[in-house]
Amino acid sequence: MKKLQQKIGNWLTEHLELPPDVVLELPRITTIGQIHAYIENHHGLILFSDNELRLKMKQGYLKITGNKFVLKMMLPEEILLEGTIKEIVFIED
Amino acid sequence: MKQTQGVFFSGYVTIQVIGHHPELFFDLCAKKGVTVWNVKKRENTVCTGNIFLKDISLVKSLRRRTIYKITFLHKKGAPFLSRRILSKKPLLISLFLSILFVTFLSNIVWDVQVKGVHPEIEKRITKQLNEYGIYPGAMKFKLESPGEIQKKLLDDIPELLWVGVNEKGTTFHLEGVEKTVVDEREEHGPNHLIAKKEGVIVDMFVAKGQPIVKVNDFVEKGDLLVSGVLGKKNEETSKDEEGKKVNRGELVEAEGEIIAKTWYESEVTIPLKANYDILTGDSINKYFLTFGKFNLQIWGFKNPEYNQVQMELNERKFQFFQWDLPIGFVTQKVQEKELRRVERTQEEAVEAGIKQAKNNLQNKLGHEAEISFEKVLHERIENGKVKLILYFTARENIAITQPISQGD
Repeated sequence: MKKLQQKIGNWLTEHLELPPDVVLELPRITTIGQIHAYIENHHGLILFSDNELRLKMKQGYLKITGNKFVLKMMLPEEILLEGTIKEIVFIED
Repeated sequence: MKQTQGVFFSGYVTIQVIGHHPELFFDLCAKKGVTVWNVKKRENTVCTGNIFLKDISLVKSLRRRTIYKITFLHKKGAPFLSRRILSKKPLLISLFLSILFVTFLSNIVWDVQVKGVHPEIEKRITKQLNEYGIYPGAMKFKLESPGEIQKKLLDDIPELLWVGVNEKGTTFHLEGVEKTVVDEREEHGPNHLIAKKEGVIVDMFVAKGQPIVKVNDFVEKGDLLVSGVLGKKNEETSKDEEGKKVNRGELVEAEGEIIAKTWYESEVTIPLKANYDILTGDSINKYFLTFGKFNLQIWGFKNPEYNQVQMELNERKFQFFQWDLPIGFVTQKVQEKELRRVERTQEEAVEAGIKQAKNNLQNKLGHEAEISFEKVLHERIENGKVKLILYFTARENIAITQPISQGD
């Protein structure tokens, strides 16, 4: 069932040009250089420390590492991260 | 970032969460709709973040279901600031008093400066101003408007030709121009006296110069009356003709008065019926404090039984430094007015017309002229008005000076 949903979603984004982050419920990550990362559509925070941020996605995790991390703003499903970002890693389970 | 704008005004607190994975508590808050910002991990089990003042109770209730410990670190923003200031009564009172004091000082005349006049007149102006209540230390809102002061000063000090009253903050700047009563003829050089209008000469007083005309002569406008060239008449004429050749006649500055009988026609229209208002002289003053548009009467509650009234408003704003405050002091002068209705017969109208025309003429000719009424040339009634053409004769000085060209 989930696979079918994803297939429909893929088809919708490809043929109707709907934004994929909305249709597929994927996080949209906007970064400004390495100082800011703005993550929308995440599914909850798992871990946050000075040099790591881990967010739950629909499937798997999003891991951002770096240093001097500060969560500049937290809203439901939105997080603005500030600091020096080294890498953004998608981890599938 | 829109969510965290204006946080100063709504007020916010920094909370410290202690516990295992403290960031998860902030995540919980965010999920419940609490805006959280500036989340920092201090230590492994310590996390700080900011929340709005209004969310505190919600956060507290969320905490109750968890094992985290919350401490409030800082309270920032206007609500806390105002509460802190409000708790300092002496500061508040002194602030209020100082504002009051400055307002009070802003409404005092600090200086009166008079410029452009001699010290003697300056002293008189200052004295007059004192009488009007304008002196350093006077309260400003009791004073009249600069325009009125100007008018009064001009009336009371006849030597002043013009005076400008300018109220600049707490200082009154006065600039006066005196009437110069200087004989300007002193350095004029030789001149003739000629007639400025036509007339029959009645009297002559020649101080200097050679009279050309005699009493009972008729002169036209521009005729030579007294020559500034001493010597024989023919010599003078020869000089005129031959230019510089004749040096015989000594040139002087002719002086004198030539009184001539002149005549005037004037036209006046006098209505047979006239309505006019006169003030009976009865008046009362009412005083108001104004706050914006709201007037609060503070004195003069008596309401006199006047049939007709004329109001005069004088509003003065309180000032704070140079700015006008919306608070003011209003003096309302209620004067009793009486409506007079005059109905004149034709004879009375004619009489009034003659008087009026004579006054007009006197004003035009100056107070030295003697005017006598001769007769009514024409009289007709039109639309309830009497139209008159009057004939006057006057005895006046018709001499004016005319410089003699030195001819070189």
